[in-house]
Parts: sequence; structure tokens; C-alpha cells
Amino acid sequence: MTRLTDLAPDQAKRLAEVECPDFETRPWVTGSVLSQRRVAIVSSASLFVRGENPFRGRDPDYRAIPADTKPEELLISHISVNFDRTAFQEDWNVVVPFDRLNELAADGVIGSVANTHYSFMGAIDPTQAEGHVRELAGRLKSDHVDAVLLSPV
Amino acid sequence: MSALAHYLEEEGIPTVAISLIRPQTENTEPPRALWVPFELGRPFGPPGNPAFQKRVMLAALRLLEREDGPVIIEDFADDDPRALPDPAWHPPFIPPAVATGTAKSLAARLEAEVLLLLGSHERWIAQHRRTTVGLSGLPMSECARYVADWLRGKAPPSPREGFSAPLILRFAVDDLKAYCLEAATAGTAKPSSRQLGDWFWNDTAAGAAMHALRVALQASEDERLRLIVSNFMVPAARVRAT
Repeated sequence: MTRLTDLAPDQAKRLAEVECPDFETRPWVTGSVLSQRRVAIVSSASLFVRGENPFRGRDPDYRAIPADTKPEELLISHISVNFDRTAFQEDWNVVVPFDRLNELAADGVIGSVANTHYSFMGAIDPTQAEGHVRELAGRLKSDHVDAVLLSPV
Repeated sequence: MSALAHYLEEEGIPTVAISLIRPQTENTEPPRALWVPFELGRPFGPPGNPAFQKRVMLAALRLLEREDGPVIIEDFADDDPRALPDPAWHPPFIPPAVATGTAKSLAARLEAEVLLLLGSHERWIAQHRRTTVGLSGLPMSECARYVADWLRGKAPPSPREGFSAPLILRFAVDDLKAYCLEAATAGTAKPSSRQLGDWFWNDTAAGAAMHALRVALQASEDERLRLIVSNFMVPAARVRAT
């Protein structure tokens, strides 16, 4: 469990005190009901498609994951060794619940699933990724995405 | 993820984030976040439990329909049922760890261990129809030999163009971990990550090799190598006092 009280004191202190951006604004965008939304997943697990370009270190850019990617094609290249990977080995839905998202679309709970999902490297200063995130927003809009589920590890 | 949420929302795209470290989320104040009480690496909870995963996902997605922003942070109440140990789990057989021995003997044990685990790993692949081994791009026997050669003090060159030797070492270490831990979970038992970590870091030659490399290469003149072995090979909770 990631209650900080369950972690080693040093690790808990480090995680709790990670420097976060101090934004002056609180952007807030609303949309239609969930059953009409087109949803993409953006993960910070440093995922990449087998055979393509892995994250090598604290890369600030992102990798695209086509929605028809198969479980055997998706790999983690995260630099951190301080999170569990055995759950992802057994079931990719623990990190990127693509199967669950497709089921929600089939059941009409959400409107549709994006053509492409994305992954960043989590262990970065997020302000370094700002330009890439804003560029990604354009790609998401081109795909008519109006809901992004952000998933860390 | 909270900062990414901020940027995307500024660009006009509604977001909801899963939060694993609540204080970080509280500091950044994203538009919508669902804190989950799960282990790092499991943002949607237990593997192999679609109903539970769907509940987490829906709890997050429903926040998109709320109108009481601009900052919503909610908690998911239920713990991950797979966080508990499974007493029925037994690791695959490998020779008992030895407390003493040279780096060269450990290197030989590592290469032998990879062969011993091959059957279990093949069962894993048959069971799950996938493997997460593949980061280094090397076959597992070459992966083990590459790590073993570092243990033997050879400082082998990178076998892949465009990838430095320290980077391939990190990737090969990640592949070795994935291979051993997949082999260890072939079958029907559902061990916790702690059970698997205890076995890997205390009982396997691969784990011992990573501990030994961390110690041996921290004195390297190559700054990238020092950084990788110090911080990105052995989990902080598993580092041994030297």
C-alpha cells in the first residue's frame, strides 16, 4: 500500500517532500456526460512499444501507444526501481487499463476510446515536459479526445 | 501527473489523475484526482481482478462529471486484496544462496541460474501469452552473460549501436529481474510483491549479482555508471549496508 506510513521512513519523507510546481492558476474545463466522452490514457510509466525507442533516462518527451497495441508489445523503461513491476507483468491493466476502457466503451459507459494513448517518464521535473505536454494536447484534440485519464506508477 | 493535468487543462482538455502519493497531489492541486491506497506501480490495484480495476477506473472517470472544481481530490476506500502474501506460493528451485564466494563464481552462478529458470519462464509465457522481458533487446542468455561479464571485471562494450554500455547494463538488469520474477510466478499461486522481492533479493544469484555490482562499480570513473548502479539497480528498501 502507498500510505506513506507503510513505506520506509526515508522513502516516505522523500516522496512527500518532492518539489512540485507551484501554479498560480487553477484551470478547470468541463465537458459532456461520461457516456459522450472520448477517453485517452496518459501514463507516466515510461511505456514504449517493443522494438521502438525506449526512454533512456529522464527524457521529457513522450511515446505514443496505438490503441490496438497488444499486451505482449508493451514494455516499461522507467528509470526508477522503487515501484512494483510484478503486477504489470501479470496484467497490464494494473498500469494502463486498456481492456477496462474498451469494456466501458462497449457498455456505453463512456462514449469511445482514443485512437492513441501516450506515456511519459515519471521521474522528471514536470516543468521540463511542459512543451511536450502542450504539443500532445494538439494531438489529443485532433483525435477528438475530451477526457484524459492520467495514470502514475 | 498533477502537473501534466494542469498543462492539459490549460490547453482545454478535461483531465482526471490517479494519485499514489497524496501529499504530492495536495501540493499541486490538479483539477480532479482520485487517491488510491495501493502500492507504487499498481495505480489500478490488483492484477487479474477486472471488477476491482473497473471500480477504480469508474470512480476516477465519474469525477469528470462533477461541477464543484477547480480542485477535487477524492479517496478510493478499498485496499488492494492482492497486497497480502499467498502461503501457497513456493519459488522455483535454484541452488541455495552462498554468503561467500568470488565475483567470478557469482557470475557463473548467475548464468547457470538463468538456464535453471528457463522451464519456469516458458510456463509463464504459455500461461500469460506475453513477457515483459525485452528492454535490452538481448536474448536472455546474452543478457545474463553481459551482466556476468561486468561482475568478472571485463567492462564489456555495448552490444547495441546507439546505446551506451552503462545504459545496456541497466536495461539488461531490468530484463533479468523481469525474467526471474516472471519465472517465479508461473503457476496458480498469487504471491505478494514483498514475497517475490524477498526471494529475488535474498535468495537468487541475480539479486546477489546486482548487490555486488552496485558495490563494485560505485568506484567507477564513469559518472553514468556510478549513477546507474547507485540509484537505478537495487531498490532503496533493498540496499544493504556496506
